[in-house]
Amino acid sequence: MRNCSIAVQRYLPHEHAEPFWQHFTVPFDESTSILDALNYIKEELDPSLSFRWSCRMAICGSCGVMVNGIPKLGCKDFLRNYLPRNYLASESTAAVSAAEIRIQPLAHFTVERDLIVDMNEFLVHLEAVKPYLITDAGADETPLEKHAQTLAQTNKQTPAQLAKYKQFANCINCGLCYSACPQFGLNPEFVGPAAIALAQRYNLDSRDQGKAARMPVLNGHNGVWSCTFVGFCSDVCPKHVDPAAAVNQGKVESAKSMLIQMFTGRG
Amino acid sequence: MKTHAKLPSTAKSSRWHGLHLEPIWWSLFSAGGVCFAVFVPAVVLVFAILAPLGFITLDYSQIVSWYADIWGLLFTGAVICLPAFHAAHRIRHGLHDLQIGGGLLSVVICYGAAALLSVAALYGWWQLSG
Amino acid sequence: MSYKPELTGSWWLKHRFFMLYMLREATVLPLVFLLCSLLAGIYSLASPEQFASWQAFMARPWVLALHGLALVAALYHAFTFFQLFPRVMPIRIGARLLPPALMVAVQWAAVLAVIVLFLWLFGNSQGAI
Ligand code: SF4
Ligand code: FES
Repeated sequence: MRNCSIAVQRYLPHEHAEPFWQHFTVPFDESTSILDALNYIKEELDPSLSFRWSCRMAICGSCGVMVNGIPKLGCKDFLRNYLPRNYLASESTAAVSAAEIRIQPLAHFTVERDLIVDMNEFLVHLEAVKPYLITDAGADETPLEKHAQTLAQTNKQTPAQLAKYKQFANCINCGLCYSACPQFGLNPEFVGPAAIALAQRYNLDSRDQGKAARMPVLNGHNGVWSCTFVGFCSDVCPKHVDPAAAVNQGKVESAKSMLIQMFTGRG
Repeated sequence: MKTHAKLPSTAKSSRWHGLHLEPIWWSLFSAGGVCFAVFVPAVVLVFAILAPLGFITLDYSQIVSWYADIWGLLFTGAVICLPAFHAAHRIRHGLHDLQIGGGLLSVVICYGAAALLSVAALYGWWQLSG
Repeated sequence: MSYKPELTGSWWLKHRFFMLYMLREATVLPLVFLLCSLLAGIYSLASPEQFASWQAFMARPWVLALHGLALVAALYHAFTFFQLFPRVMPIRIGARLLPPALMVAVQWAAVLAVIVLFLWLFGNSQGAI
């Protein structure tokens, strides 16, 4: 086992008013992930460190952090990615301090403690786009009756119909794309990449009839029109959702929707 | 609890509610982006590089006769007007990115300048063709 | 208690991806200069003398340099724009997606075709090309 230097940005509001950097030395091998390193720090070096995780297999979406300034899933990113290729094999230890890995909480969110951010700032946008199947059937029934109705229908779908939205359905709500998006950083009211990708996902679903309910959110200034196709959201997405593509397809849809509204008076 | 699906609203108010000009700016931006990518390289190469360097000699009467025709209008639209709105859109959002603008004033100035440039170019064509 | 780091106007200097984004946005600056030159060119068509003086303006070294920059900018813009197109308007045939690489190639072919057309239209008057 070799050692690696890791700096973590800490924030302990009850002890220090300001965030500060703390430096650790962590043993690692080929298979040590960023999350493993954080767990090592918590168990062996400083139990006061706080961070989120659960599945360790890139599916729960809770372990997002900034690694050297780029949003990553802690469990899907490895220490070996940040060190010279031959570092583990070579005998020299000189590179240890030279290659310090910097871990910070996700950018563009409010930090509550250490690596814990307020994910609500993302979840309110997600909720706003109604990311679930909406059917016309039984518009006057209670949500529960409606749900029973939806279950009762067979909801058949062909592979071609599935292919239309499948990519956008892979989102795990990790929020990395929000940390990658400068437009969200500049304007927290921007609905943002994942929420708009999810809206597209349901709008493109042949079983869904909720598009009219979703479009007002996307049509607004803080909807699709805040996006300038920076495209970094798609680069950092661990599930290859390509939210930037979804947002910009959403612009075409939003333009159509507003045109229809203008002529018919309905969204 | 019953959901109130049908709120009382007049057709007129819902017709215009929440509408804005973004789709128009974005359509002009996109069309201008295509022109900037597809037509501008050839235009710069011929008129602004090869001709001034003497590799190509432009024939004045030939160009006037072509430009005064419908080709001149197409050229003006595809090489000047649409790219102008493309540029205006990017500059407006760039001002927002740099946190020195991007609001209503930037909108008026950027798209206003693009509109002025377009009108000036179209007027130039109209004078020659008329 | 909590804190939220604010973005400053220089956020895009923080890493390469954002710098390339800003470079893409900045391609319109030399374009604006080109548009002004072309507008002057249209008005210079009023008389052969004015056209000659416009051509003299176009041959000035600094004007040539800016237009050279405009050509590079247009090509870089094209490079980025063509990649976006298949993502914004994916074309599906049944369940199959038209390969994005094919759509990018078709767009570059269009650029080339327009260049050839312009050279054919304007380049053969003296046969220098
Ligand atoms: S779109 Fe990708 S990066 Fe964004 S929340 Fe979903 S999985 Fe995460
Ligand atoms: S721990 Fe679940 S995604 Fe990383």
